[in-house]
Amino acid sequence: MPISTAAQPHPPGQLPPPGHPQGDSRGKSGLRGVVGLAGEAMRTVLRSWTTTPGRLALIATGLVLLTLITGLTAAVMTQQKTDAVSELTDRREPLAAAAQQVYRALSDADATASSSFLSTGEEPPALRARFENDIAQAGVFLARAASDPDAGPEVSRQIDIIGKYVPVYAELVGTARANNRQGFPAGAAYLREASELMQSTILPAAEALYEADTKALAERQAEARSVPWLTAVLVIGLLAALIATQLYLKRRTNRVFNIGLVVATGAIVVGLLWSSAALITQSVLIGSSESQGSEQVDRLVRARIAGLKARVDETLLLVSRGEGEQYAKEFAKEAQEMAGKDGNGGLLAEARAAADEQDELAETLDKAQASATAWLKAHDKVRKLDGEGEYLEAASVAIDDTREDSSARAFNQLDVDLRTAILHGRQSFFDNASDAGAALTLLPWGWVALGLIAAGGVAVGMYERLREYR
Amino acid sequence: MRKLTAAKVAALLVASAVLTGCAAGEPRDLSPMVTAEPPMPANATINPKIEAPGGGEDDCGDPTVSLKPQGTAIPPGSTMDKIRKRKKLVVGVDQNTFLFGFRNPTTGQLEGFDIDIAKAIAVKLLGHPSAAQFRAITSQQRIDALKNGKVDIVVRTMTINCERRKDIEFSSVYYVAGQRVLVKKTSDYDSLKDLGGKRVCATSGSTSLRNIAQSPAKPIPVAVDNWSDCLVMMQQGQVEAISTDDTILAGMAQQDPTLKVVGERFTEEPYGIGIPKENKDMVRYVNAVLDEIRGGEWQKSYNKWLKPVLGSDSPPKPKYR
Repeated sequence: MPISTAAQPHPPGQLPPPGHPQGDSRGKSGLRGVVGLAGEAMRTVLRSWTTTPGRLALIATGLVLLTLITGLTAAVMTQQKTDAVSELTDRREPLAAAAQQVYRALSDADATASSSFLSTGEEPPALRARFENDIAQAGVFLARAASDPDAGPEVSRQIDIIGKYVPVYAELVGTARANNRQGFPAGAAYLREASELMQSTILPAAEALYEADTKALAERQAEARSVPWLTAVLVIGLLAALIATQLYLKRRTNRVFNIGLVVATGAIVVGLLWSSAALITQSVLIGSSESQGSEQVDRLVRARIAGLKARVDETLLLVSRGEGEQYAKEFAKEAQEMAGKDGNGGLLAEARAAADEQDELAETLDKAQASATAWLKAHDKVRKLDGEGEYLEAASVAIDDTREDSSARAFNQLDVDLRTAILHGRQSFFDNASDAGAALTLLPWGWVALGLIAAGGVAVGMYERLREYR
Repeated sequence: MRKLTAAKVAALLVASAVLTGCAAGEPRDLSPMVTAEPPMPANATINPKIEAPGGGEDDCGDPTVSLKPQGTAIPPGSTMDKIRKRKKLVVGVDQNTFLFGFRNPTTGQLEGFDIDIAKAIAVKLLGHPSAAQFRAITSQQRIDALKNGKVDIVVRTMTINCERRKDIEFSSVYYVAGQRVLVKKTSDYDSLKDLGGKRVCATSGSTSLRNIAQSPAKPIPVAVDNWSDCLVMMQQGQVEAISTDDTILAGMAQQDPTLKVVGERFTEEPYGIGIPKENKDMVRYVNAVLDEIRGGEWQKSYNKWLKPVLGSDSPPKPKYR
């Protein structure tokens, strides 16, 4: 093996003394001083490279630094992943769930207020209680949905709109109630105004809020399962550097193994395998938290929102008494989005198709589809009776949930089914996301330990070689 | 000593720099200017475009002259025969105007003076008041509903005039109202003349809205779908007054004791039943029914709904050609 002259060991004393910064760098501006120092350091490094022990010392320093940086980066990255997963379950998903509850509560309040209007005589206590619960829930869930420190200006704007107008809405309904009690038609006018406020101002804000929170959740999920490229490059680069150093040492010294460096390489390989296994598991589980959890929940929530809109249209159709063609059209549109033409299509069918492997959810969704079919049937009956001039009978079929054939009963059952299904989807999300977090357990500390072991290995291994030049 | 002072000065300078640095920031903006604009009824429009009356007003002579009744017999093939066969008389009415056509929240049924007139026609034609199938329509929808055949007749505080006669037929006059003004009891307004530059409410497509817009005092017209929407805007302080037929205003004053009807009647609004233009036989039939009820049922319904607020009155005399 030819040995180049440049690689001849020199006694350390003969190393050219590092150049002292001369007076020229003194008295100059700080920036120039820094540039001068950097140049000086560069020259020193280049000079060291020309001798073997100098080169070994440089390699040793570089490797130790790279190992420490890699270990630290990997530890920070995996900690960030762990945090990202717990943010999903602790914050993003509850926010999205709160936002959908705000929408549901407000929309249900509006449908309930219209139903109370259709009822005759004294307002049914159950409807009144339901309305008041809805308003209370809207307030509580709005406060939860608003507790997002990362909320952007758009989200804040929607929350402001809802917060501002829900009390106004409730007051209008109260005024409507007071007028209704005295038999004054002004009550109906207040109710119409309230409903207009809800439909044109409050609910669009609630829908936008839900959409923003759902989008944020999806973005964080994508972030949580993204490939950590920087860390990957560092780890692979470190491994390559370790192997190259060992090859170089083998060539220089004819010794096959350097225990320190082998230990370091082993530690990094362990880290790489552990991280790969953990991150792939985590990514798959986050994927499941999407496909079986949040995406399914979103589908069901959208079905529920479409159902609530259709229910409001159904009651307003009767409130408008004869001139409600626009409500009939909107009902058809929303109902079709929710459940297709006959109750077996639309979002419910999509959700059902995605739930094939989850028996419990599939069962609930079968029930929901049956309820939707029953509702559409009851709605046809309402329309038929109304068309025949049997207005009071039509109103009774629409709002009296004690009747077997009423659309109120079918709608309520559908809402219960959807609530159960949504809870189920949320549970799937939570389970998968929690498992994803568990897959990363100890990994950050593992990287701290492995990084230190590897750095120690490099230092010891290189020190042994360097010592031979003393 | 000098040195110490210099150090003190330096320290002070640094401290003041730090302090001013802090003071340059602001507390987080909590949007102190939160205001909730009061909501308005659906489709409320301030200062809407109002179509000018097409052509001359007087080109039909006296618009209240209707077709002469020819008894209540129903020849086969007539409009009445068709209605009888389907067993429903579809009537366009109001469900938001107190005393004339409104929904009674206790029963869910429509009630009022107009509703009684419609029911009387249904009783004569089909034998039962419940044979009248009511469709609630807005002022704006009245003529289209008749033209499209959605309703057989419209009984909805509808003023007979030449412009409307171009599109539809009217029965003989069954009531004569006149436009007045509804204001707050505490206000000093006496008529539309005092309301220049103020917002005054009426329904879209009503003669009242046009009269407000054409008033020389130049009030700002506000158009809504239903009369009770005007009352809501009045109670919310969004309009200064409501101006329409005294009958409708009386119904609103009944619902809110803080309001009063002021001024003289400055228009005459003869109410007629609207009927599609091609159904002349129906016009004659309805006129025959009106002739029959002018004696008894008209008075009974008037006394029930309107006498307490408008005083005694008797049915107007019909004019025929």
